[in-house]
Amino acid sequence: MTYIAAIVLLIGVTLYAMRTGSIKVGLAELISGLLFGGNDNVDVIRDLRFPRIIVAIMSGAALAVSGVLLQSVMRNPLADAGVIGISAGAGFVSVLTVMIWPMLFFWMPLFSVIGGLIACFLVYAFSWRSGLQPLRLILVGVAINALFTGLNQLLGFRGGIAMSTANQASSSMFALKTWDDVKVIVLYGVIGLIAAFALSTWCNLLALQDRTAGNLGLNVMRARVIVSFVAVLLASVATAIGGLIAFVGLLVPHISRQLIGTDHRLLIPFSAIMGGLLILIADTVGRTLLTQTEIPASVIMTIIGGPFLIFMLMRSDRVHGN
Amino acid sequence: MEIKELSFAYKHRAPIINGITTEFQKGKITTIIGPNGSGKSTLLGLMARNYIPQAGKIIVEGRQLQQLKAKELAKLLAVVHQQNEAPYDLTVERLVAYGRLPYRHMFSQETEEDREAIDWALEVTKLAKLRRQRLHELSGGQKQRAWIAMALAQKTSVLFLDEPTTYLDIFYQIELLELVKELNETYGLTIVMVLHDVNQAVRYSDEIKVVKDGSIIAEGAPEDVMTVELMKQVYDVKAIIRRDEETGMYIVPIAVKA
Repeated sequence: MTYIAAIVLLIGVTLYAMRTGSIKVGLAELISGLLFGGNDNVDVIRDLRFPRIIVAIMSGAALAVSGVLLQSVMRNPLADAGVIGISAGAGFVSVLTVMIWPMLFFWMPLFSVIGGLIACFLVYAFSWRSGLQPLRLILVGVAINALFTGLNQLLGFRGGIAMSTANQASSSMFALKTWDDVKVIVLYGVIGLIAAFALSTWCNLLALQDRTAGNLGLNVMRARVIVSFVAVLLASVATAIGGLIAFVGLLVPHISRQLIGTDHRLLIPFSAIMGGLLILIADTVGRTLLTQTEIPASVIMTIIGGPFLIFMLMRSDRVHGN
Repeated sequence: MEIKELSFAYKHRAPIINGITTEFQKGKITTIIGPNGSGKSTLLGLMARNYIPQAGKIIVEGRQLQQLKAKELAKLLAVVHQQNEAPYDLTVERLVAYGRLPYRHMFSQETEEDREAIDWALEVTKLAKLRRQRLHELSGGQKQRAWIAMALAQKTSVLFLDEPTTYLDIFYQIELLELVKELNETYGLTIVMVLHDVNQAVRYSDEIKVVKDGSIIAEGAPEDVMTVELMKQVYDVKAIIRRDEETGMYIVPIAVKA
């Protein structure tokens, strides 16, 4: 029931997002324009607005599911690719690579994943000995995030060739997204989302203690590595194409758990839908709220997400995550 | 189940298990007792492969523990830990279904066999009526039974229990130990458990192994093992041992100095 409501809402917002903006068209006009061509407005919408809508939905879905996976694997309801530095690491390595070798532009998602993996590895390395103790893990993550965010800004200040790419990966502008971007994010995003869904049983077991999961026949270390990898893949691809958007992976899984519970077989797909919905709303509001200018979705998310993180920290001893 | 020259130390700490060699009898209830920090829970943890020993080997059903795949091991022995964590909305039924994991593949559906094992586990632990309840809504005793049901759903011939009664009221302690006895007598399970209470160990075990400072210092039938001297040696207390027609041997610690 909740599922159907979320899907209907996503479709509704998508339809609204297609029609609204600086060029407004009716639904009938939109459909006939798409089918038969010959409508300049619809052509513009198809080339500019559709890609951005798809990228927004896919980024949101990928980041939300990445959050679910990280929270399960780190046994920490506060883990999120944006908060613990994975997105920042992904952004930094991909931008740095493209600055040095501009011809590698099309491999950006790959370098993004490498950057995400480096950040993820660092977080684990520095919080492993405390047994992934929640508060320590978050503090380590915040430090890693600060480091990569600083490095990102350093790249930004270099100016010149870096500017266009740096902006893309550091402040999330869904405008100027093309069908090529759509291809990349849909390809890797769908692979990641399917992999995540396939891992849902493992995620359920990781919510128990390691030794219990081990006695049930789960190879806990292997499961940790694989689930982390998929989480990093999703977050990094979303960062490479959609840019840095914080807190989606924190907000969406939390709300989703309240709505449909902690069974990952339901939680993962539901979070994907909710994540897509949230970012699409943020982006659509961002481009329609003010007529002269656009507010990036990442800015809107940060404004909502900051207070939400504080709220969660305050009640973190009784959060439902684990 | 056999253990040979088993040694183990936690990272950067003094050894906690010092070359233990022993055997666990099939189809019996064996209880490991000993003071805090003696290594009794660690020994059980090693046998459950929660830790990797530095030296020695453990042989289960003729096979070396270290060489078994995780799922193979989970079909041979099941473990109930002392303290457990679970998500707030986990139902009894879903928890028990986790016990079927060793028999399932990534996308396989629940089989008739799975359902039968789950129903049986719920029946034996008297949780059939509570199957749709959330674990967190249950009493301590019921919760512990639910974790046992999960282990039973694994359909193993060996069951390990690590201090299963520690956090329970007396009623639930006895209820749980009666259940353990039933599992052994009716279903032929080999039971190895760690207990805190020496009287419970005496009453419910076929064999007792006494661990102190990482070594087994006495083992055998409860009547033979438990002596006034042993109580002094292991727990450093003066105890009196009496026999009652109904319950058999019982031990009362009476002073800290002998």
